[in-house]
Amino acid sequence: MALKERPKPFLLPEYCKGCGRCLDACAKDCIHLSDQINPLTGLVPVELDLTNCNACGLCMDACPEPYGLRPAHEGEIQDFELEDPAKIFGVKPSDAPEPVDLPSEVLPLPRTEPLVIKGTYASALGALLAGCRHVYGYPITPSTEGAELMAKFLPKLDGTFIQAVSEVATVNMMYGTAGAGLPTMTFTSSPGFSLMLEGVSYMIGAELPGVFVNVMRGGPGLGNIAPEQADIKLACHGLGHGNTRAIVLAPATPQEMLDLTMLAFELSFKYRNPVILLGDGYLGQMTGKVQLPETMIKPGIPKWAVYGDAMHRKNVITSIFLTESDLEAHNVHLNAKYEAMQVEARAESFLCDDAEVVLIACNTPARTAKGAVQELRHQGIKAGLFRPVTLWPFPVEELKAAIHSAQRIVVVEASAGQLEDEIRLALSKAGVRQFPEIENVRRMGGVLPQQSEIMTRVLGRKEVLA
Amino acid sequence: MSKASVFYDKFERHSHGEGLKGHATHYCPGCGHGLAHKYLADAIDELGIQDRTVAISPVGCSVFLYYYFDVGNSQAAHGRAPVVALGHKFANPESVVISYQGDGDLASIGLAETVATAQLGAPITVIFINNAIYGMTGGQMAPTTLMGQNSTTSPSGRNEYNGQPMKMAELIAGLDGPVYVERVALYDAKQRIKAKKAIQKAIKLQVEGRGYSFIEVLAECPTHLKMDPEATEKWVKECMEPVYPLGVKKDVTVDPWFKRNPPCFKGEKLLSLAGATSEHPERFCKGFPTHLAPNDISLKLAGSGGDGAQTAAMLIARASINEGFDATHIPSYGPESRGGTSYADVHVAEEEVLNPGSPDPQVLIAFNTPSLAKFGPTVRRGGFVIYDSSVVTEAPVLDPSIKMFPVPFTGIATDLGKAVVKNIVALGALQAATNIFPKDTMLTAIRVALKDKCALIPLNEEAFAWGIKSVEALNQ
Repeated sequence: MALKERPKPFLLPEYCKGCGRCLDACAKDCIHLSDQINPLTGLVPVELDLTNCNACGLCMDACPEPYGLRPAHEGEIQDFELEDPAKIFGVKPSDAPEPVDLPSEVLPLPRTEPLVIKGTYASALGALLAGCRHVYGYPITPSTEGAELMAKFLPKLDGTFIQAVSEVATVNMMYGTAGAGLPTMTFTSSPGFSLMLEGVSYMIGAELPGVFVNVMRGGPGLGNIAPEQADIKLACHGLGHGNTRAIVLAPATPQEMLDLTMLAFELSFKYRNPVILLGDGYLGQMTGKVQLPETMIKPGIPKWAVYGDAMHRKNVITSIFLTESDLEAHNVHLNAKYEAMQVEARAESFLCDDAEVVLIACNTPARTAKGAVQELRHQGIKAGLFRPVTLWPFPVEELKAAIHSAQRIVVVEASAGQLEDEIRLALSKAGVRQFPEIENVRRMGGVLPQQSEIMTRVLGRKEVLA
Repeated sequence: MSKASVFYDKFERHSHGEGLKGHATHYCPGCGHGLAHKYLADAIDELGIQDRTVAISPVGCSVFLYYYFDVGNSQAAHGRAPVVALGHKFANPESVVISYQGDGDLASIGLAETVATAQLGAPITVIFINNAIYGMTGGQMAPTTLMGQNSTTSPSGRNEYNGQPMKMAELIAGLDGPVYVERVALYDAKQRIKAKKAIQKAIKLQVEGRGYSFIEVLAECPTHLKMDPEATEKWVKECMEPVYPLGVKKDVTVDPWFKRNPPCFKGEKLLSLAGATSEHPERFCKGFPTHLAPNDISLKLAGSGGDGAQTAAMLIARASINEGFDATHIPSYGPESRGGTSYADVHVAEEEVLNPGSPDPQVLIAFNTPSLAKFGPTVRRGGFVIYDSSVVTEAPVLDPSIKMFPVPFTGIATDLGKAVVKNIVALGALQAATNIFPKDTMLTAIRVALKDKCALIPLNEEAFAWGIKSVEALNQ
């Protein structure tokens, strides 16, 4: 019986680091360290004397370098001089195909009667309608109902809900699914969001879409489970390390929890960047009227994805740019993207056209403030409400228009001034130097400002503090 | 073929593929990573899964795995590779996902992810390179560093204050999730052949959908062990192996189970899950109940957990929205799910609820004495207070303009045989006391809420009727 002839080893000395692991592997003593330093590498390579070689192949198995000791096939150059590697190995690093976008589809839905559901449920339905079938999460009050609904619905839609070991694991599962090019999201609340920020920075760096619904609760630390708005700073300016930005949406009604969750997915894929939906504990728990849209999305696969198929083989998802100039160029690219996101600024102005007193608030406090505006109007005071719907980018042009006739600005918020900081920063960056002194109604610790407190502030100009 | 095709023909991501870096790894001479890479490439090649493979690069010396493998590549944060792998696996169950990690990554910072992913048992393959030292950061103590071994953070040798070495293969094999766990080495030809086979088997088990597998590779780090490659091989054999015995730690035969259908995007299915319907609910109101308020009615329901205040609140909101109005309901619970306080703020508005809170309600439904005492005084002048006279023996004195309706919610419900319907008695009382909506509006909302428990509808209708009767008796 003729044995199949096995190839003998072959080595380009330039690709040998001289580790010598092959020396022991050879029973025939065919391999020796050279007595000369290779001038190209500065290393001492091994030399082969194949006189006694029986082509056992063990030396090749012992060589750690992919292009180190390799089988020499018939006709391959055994005697060589260093040539252009492209000549030896070919010019293309890979034969992987060039990927193309597989676009998402917009599917019609029949018109239905409004649902009466909680904010977290509305957001979960929004995600499903936006085509999200991969949800990861870790239970945390007051956002858990969203995850619970997903755990119930997704198996029926052949989707995936996985309760992760932590928020850290959650965001990295999202990183994986987003890397595969599919829509993914999570529900969390303030302490959990803090934990996710590492992963958010990586997602931004690797340009991955994903939707984070943060139903904000009282802090710092474990705080409590009542509503607060104290993660505005985190979402707008503190998304982990590095040059990070994300669009931050602030819904005020269960309807907006659905609508803005759907928008969040759209924007997140449009910009290849996470989108943060900041709700407050009340909004998550609040039940209200929610009208479903007349279309839903069946997602495609973007061309940059690492889906795990032939089409996407050439892609890589990474946030590493080892060479400084590469990383600087990446940051310039991210900045251009952040600049492009400015057009997504959104706001609602309620009775601001002639307003002398402009209240500014978002989330549930915006509704309280809206109630106050109506009451103040009954009392003959020209009040209006400006409600930023995006907190980043801040809708400063809309704000400028809303306060054009304002003599007083009152910021109503459930935090120690984080919304006010956004307003001041936006006005400052926009070069607005002239505006009325900013007054405030602030509550903290899980207490939302009350309509009566707003009234007292506006009518009495008294300090309102918890 | 002059090499496994799974390596790029040229390592363009390695310093842009310039010069020798286009064909040489970034690893130090004699490093075990290169061997593990080659065996992984061979396995991918031999199983014919190059197009389906997604390799997860970790943080550590193998952070640049994606420089070399001509497969889908995803680079993870430190320690998070196994969960990134899960994210890829569930996104495309047909993909073959390999989480390649070092000891700092897998056994220290990523321990939670490592253990939880192993126990989850979804078919992914974890290749764990244990070289008993941190390589990339420069020779610090790893969780796998041996007792007495020097490192830059255990300069006089690892001692008991640094804890004991982590035996990951044994730890993972002790879990129920994995199907195959083996520890292999690279120090001689025999071990290298075993290592190659183990890696191939681990991936094959994934390809067949049988489950999670874990291969720990005892690898050499000559640079940070400060030895030549040959001495390092010897050190692994003589010092590491006694602490980390080689061999199969777990190998269970499991039928292929990981089969997932493509996700469903059928609109009807989604709408039916959401409970959405195109059926127009019957309307009974002739207009907004302006006798209570011009355009926005504020209610509060207060009791203990289990009184049904939230359900009643929800039914009011649903009834209002069915009539084409707006409504909101905000629940507020005490810290306990049951037995604590349970309040609900409800608004019914003609067009839009502006402020959904009810700090000064027009209507209060109180299920117990503390709730009545707490919220009674907040009720607006001319408002309504409906309370459970079965449990409230002494009502507080409120503004004389407020109409008081003592109704024995609990007594009636108990007489009907089900104490839980006391909230429906309360709704009947609300109906009769305020005439907020026509009777049928509330009854329709109750029937719709019970559509999956039809047998309970007559009892609830009766409870509602008794609530009405009680108020009518008070009014006579």
